[in-house]
Amino acid sequence: MDYTNTQRFILAFKAGRALRRDGTDSVDPKPEKGAIILYDGEDDLLHFVWKDRTTGNVGEDLIMFEGDASFTQVPNAPGGRTYVLKFQSSDQRHFFWMQDASSERDADFVRNLNGRLQDPTFSLTWNTEVTLAAPSSTSGPSRPVQQATAEQVETLRRLLSSYRAGGTAAATAPPEYSLTDILTPANITPLFTSHPELVPTLFPHLPPDLPNPPNAETITQIIASPQFRSAVSNLDQALRTGLLGGFVRSLGLPEEAGTSVEAFLKAIQDQAASEDSMQTD
Amino acid sequence: MSTGEENSGWNLTESDPGVFTELLKSLGVPMVFDDLYSLDPPTLAAHQPLHALIFLFKWTSDSPDPTSGGTYDSDFPGFFAHQVVNNACATLAVLNALGNIPSLKSGQPLGELFNFTQGMDPQTRGMVVTSADWLRECHNSLTPPSAISLDGIGLSKTSEDAYHFIVYLPFMGCVYELDGLKASPVRHSAYEEKGEGWAGKAREVIESRISTYPPGSLEFSLLALHDDPLPALREQLVVAQTTGDQPLVAQQMQKISDENVKRERWAFENALRRHNHMGLMHALLKLLAKTNKLDAAKEGAKTRMTERREKAKAKGEAMDEE
Repeated sequence: MDYTNTQRFILAFKAGRALRRDGTDSVDPKPEKGAIILYDGEDDLLHFVWKDRTTGNVGEDLIMFEGDASFTQVPNAPGGRTYVLKFQSSDQRHFFWMQDASSERDADFVRNLNGRLQDPTFSLTWNTEVTLAAPSSTSGPSRPVQQATAEQVETLRRLLSSYRAGGTAAATAPPEYSLTDILTPANITPLFTSHPELVPTLFPHLPPDLPNPPNAETITQIIASPQFRSAVSNLDQALRTGLLGGFVRSLGLPEEAGTSVEAFLKAIQDQAASEDSMQTD
Repeated sequence: MSTGEENSGWNLTESDPGVFTELLKSLGVPMVFDDLYSLDPPTLAAHQPLHALIFLFKWTSDSPDPTSGGTYDSDFPGFFAHQVVNNACATLAVLNALGNIPSLKSGQPLGELFNFTQGMDPQTRGMVVTSADWLRECHNSLTPPSAISLDGIGLSKTSEDAYHFIVYLPFMGCVYELDGLKASPVRHSAYEEKGEGWAGKAREVIESRISTYPPGSLEFSLLALHDDPLPALREQLVVAQTTGDQPLVAQQMQKISDENVKRERWAFENALRRHNHMGLMHALLKLLAKTNKLDAAKEGAKTRMTERREKAKAKGEAMDEE
């Protein structure tokens, strides 16, 4: 997935990510400086990438299918520079906010991005005088020649060179927290004392071939075991790829829950709340 | 990391005596593997009659494995198979050990495998062994099931790196070294039956090998393959009870109890290894949510992560690879 080969690079602009606040229509922007990058991968697929400009880590790497995705302005967002990437094929939503100090080129970026998302033969056009010019990998008539400033060339070079080539579609931004620090005996064992009635509800999830009948102590030992901790670490890593949408449905969770650890936990909160409310009389 | 194709469906196993002993059970072999923490005479004596020693190690330097002395014996008439699949190295070492124990009573299909491969060259034997589906299933039964199908996502597996295995055993009066990555077995010196027997000679060979590695570069353990001690211990207990030898009775009961405690721990760990923990992880997270503890746990986890980063930064390392 080497997009340092500039022939495959299509366009890029500064943008940060934003998360929707549950149950509302508003989004909270995340402060990390980032960039949206669109490029033709070596796999012959169109990639929409969000990258952290400070760490160089890739936060999103999405494959775009012709005509599926659109990048539209979020109405009523303060500042008016919040956009959402949405899909016809799924309920996925990714929110972004423009980070270029000037909004002059927003329209250009958005128009070109959408144009290319809809149609692989779309020719980029730039109405403003000075832009990051895309190289001539697209077919079609020659575009108006643009001059990039030294600063923009430098930005482009930095964006390209710090991309972690050879990586996978995994979200590799340094994580804020890990599930391995949540599912610990320190967090869980006290619950067995405060809510002993919940202990037997866990028995069906334990190995069926334990040498002795289980109790609360057994569960604590299991949580502390290298085998369990390894499973937690795997789940954490897998969620950070953002690709577990299909899998989490088997847990009764919405597809969104498979896009990040944060989303997974939020969905579990919701699931727990709805299960409790089902038990009231 | 090895790809699935390179490893032909063999999962990487943990190098743990509980895992290896479970493998023996699934092969129908009434023997046991134990960790040896030393090669001193009392330790060796405690595991007699000793059938084989497995030296498992990984070394961290880039230099190749130092030579081990002894002479190559390309005419070795016993069982020796090459390691043709990396992930199968543990099972292959076990077979190289079992295949040369004259007193072994193995059930089918292991006995059949040994018969079938008689007279074959090591490379062919290795291929036959690794293409035995029943053997691969025994081997794989002790690795965790994939809770999540992650093919193609390219996640690094969290299982241990492959250890290298070398079997030491007695054969026709000499100590032999069987290394599945070498062309033929290596014959070391002859041993005398009296005293410690071949184990004493093996100690010399192994200690001399260990000393050739630069200090601190070697991570290793030793496994002893020996008969299941419980039947003998129980017999001795009965004898002691009959003769009314109280101290001996107490001693034997203690040994039997220790052995059973160890077996129970192995059974517990193996049960965890075979289990898909997804259901438990999901249930525990819901539990935290229902008791309103999930948010606090998350905040605590954030603090831990920050603390770790600060510590690592202070040490001057980078947390993440660049």
